Amino acid sequence: MNQLPTDEELMTRVSQGDLNQMSLLFERYHLRLFNFLVQMTRDRAVAEDLTQTVFYKAIRYRSSYKGGQFVSWIFRIARNLFSDYYQKSKRSWKTVGIETVVEEQDESLYERTEEIAHLYNTMQKLTMEEREFLVLNRFQGLKYSQIAEITGSSEGAVKVRMHRVIKKLKTLYFETI
Amino acid sequence: MENKHFEQQLIDYLDGKLTDEQRQKVQDYIDSNQTNREELEKMKALFEVFDQVREMQPSGNLRTGFYEMLEEEKQLQSPKVISVRNSESQFPWKRAFQIAASFLLLFLGYFAGSFGAKQEASQEIANLKVQTVELKERMTLTMFENRSASTRIQAVNFSEELEKPDTTIITALIERMQYDSNINVRIAAAEALYRFSDSEMVKTAFIDALGTVKEPDLQIAIIQFLVDIQEKRAIEPMKQLLDHPETPDFVKAQANSGISEII
Repeated sequence: MNQLPTDEELMTRVSQGDLNQMSLLFERYHLRLFNFLVQMTRDRAVAEDLTQTVFYKAIRYRSSYKGGQFVSWIFRIARNLFSDYYQKSKRSWKTVGIETVVEEQDESLYERTEEIAHLYNTMQKLTMEEREFLVLNRFQGLKYSQIAEITGSSEGAVKVRMHRVIKKLKTLYFETI
Repeated sequence: MENKHFEQQLIDYLDGKLTDEQRQKVQDYIDSNQTNREELEKMKALFEVFDQVREMQPSGNLRTGFYEMLEEEKQLQSPKVISVRNSESQFPWKRAFQIAASFLLLFLGYFAGSFGAKQEASQEIANLKVQTVELKERMTLTMFENRSASTRIQAVNFSEELEKPDTTIITALIERMQYDSNINVRIAAAEALYRFSDSEMVKTAFIDALGTVKEPDLQIAIIQFLVDIQEKRAIEPMKQLLDHPETPDFVKAQANSGISEII
């Protein structure tokens, strides 16, 4: 039985010009990237646009892929895109609450509980970087080593940082409950 | 176990990342007091909320958009590779020569054009000059026949502008001088004829006119002309003027001085 090609094998083929392989990577990753971007932007439409742009950039800059972990590479693109978007919309950012996203949600897709609403409200009190660490690690399930690769840091530093973020969140979450 | 260390271990404890030995240590620490147990409960509760967060689904537009974009990129792919190679591989000599050649052609065209245009233009200007002279001559002749004296004087002035008027113009001027009904036209015509002192026809006309014209102004003008050109044939008609009883004294005086000047 043939084994499925790894993300890295697929991306290597894409970087060599076989663009069709990108559709397999899209199927594997678009949900994770979309959810990461929804968590960060709190805007479904923007997250969809950005997700598509992630894949556009991945194709455009395919030659810059040098065989490292694909998940880190693609999330690094997503993170940079979000960063650009965040800088541009910094002024209007504060006026957009989590309700914007929550109200738009299809109830069957998104279980809106009080706990989740409270969690999102508390997450807003974190810095953008803290929130990014939390989303990548806790919601996207990325390992410390992968986050380290994305953010250009060491695994140990990410771990310490991660613990600090969770501790801060826990404090904030229970002090206002 | 220090409290700070416990906070860090607690997360790994819940994530199941600890070795059995580490796990036991944390468990012991939790069991040691109420505060630690509460911390564990809080952390557990938070992690449970994390677990409640459901994955969201994007709309179908995302997939549709992706496949459209992929198709576009595939279309762009092959021609792009070729063009990039060509432009980057070496200096585009062929193109450079083409550009140089087109500039050369442009300049050649400009010079050839300007040279040809100059010749053509000068030829055309010459033609136009001839046509203008002819037109002026015809106009002058026509104007001489005009009933208005001022128009006829204007015609005389026009004739002066003609560098080399042909004999028809000179004849017409002589006619004006001798027979025009208006004295001003006759004087103007006489003055215009001064220029053609070399012309035998004009000289003869002046000598003839001296015997026929009656107007003193004209007589004086004619005497002046004939004296200026030192026309000896004029002496006889001048003498006749002196003898003529109707000749005014100031004309006689002019004639007298004229005769002495010619001699």
